[in-house]
Amino acid sequence: MTLIEWVELYVMSPIAIASIVVGLFFLFVAAVGVLRLPDVYTRSHAVSLTDSLGAFFVLGGLALYEGLSTNAVKILIVLILLYLLNPVIAHATVRSAHRSGLKPWSREDA
Amino acid sequence: MKSNPLAIKTLAFFLIWLLLSESFDWLHVSMGVLCAFGVAWFNRSREQTRFEIPRARIVWYYFWLVGRILQSGFHLSKLILHPSLPIDPRMIRQRTKLRKDAGIVLLGNSITLTPGTITVEVNSDELEVHAMDAESAEDVTSFRFDEQIARVTSSKETA
Repeated sequence: MTLIEWVELYVMSPIAIASIVVGLFFLFVAAVGVLRLPDVYTRSHAVSLTDSLGAFFVLGGLALYEGLSTNAVKILIVLILLYLLNPVIAHATVRSAHRSGLKPWSREDA
Repeated sequence: MKSNPLAIKTLAFFLIWLLLSESFDWLHVSMGVLCAFGVAWFNRSREQTRFEIPRARIVWYYFWLVGRILQSGFHLSKLILHPSLPIDPRMIRQRTKLRKDAGIVLLGNSITLTPGTITVEVNSDELEVHAMDAESAEDVTSFRFDEQIARVTSSKETA
């Protein structure tokens, strides 16, 4: 077993798997958030958590697991595109809710 | 010789195709040429947007941003999983001192990307931000992002 193989098997893989598990935890939190939170505005916070942290850790973990290959580069391109598109989508959703006159939920309403 | 934007675009798309497809048999290469030309032709009327090359500091900014995202992400997760759901959502209106469009776009996107704060509306230099609770709102009201972005976009801007 060469040194590179050893590093891939005993160092990179555990880091990658841990990263994917952390990402899955954030995806779970986001799902719980969508169910628990009261209105569009607060729920879209939870939804954007999926992309900003869930996808970050899951895709980052997958890229680490692949090692140095074009597949890793492709995964990173997907990640960069997600980071560019996620805020635009969240902003568009919330802005249309705001422009149609939806009042945000606040503590006093509860 | 006049430069042909269609040819340049086709060539650029084809190079990206070659880099990502890794297969050099005639079938894949010819499909790549067709697709590259198709995409370039489809976008032929898109006007050329001028964009400034950002300063090298933007790399540092992205690392800083990922740090902020992690920190606010943990805070938001704590709020969501807390049994009593201690959220206190609010709208904030705030004027930014940034002047360039690129800086304001970067600011709005960074605020939205940070869990717990979403940019709702942008009117030239006034941002309306929806925040999950006081601690998330503090991210925006402290002008933390403005200061960092002002250092990235231009030395002339003050923040």
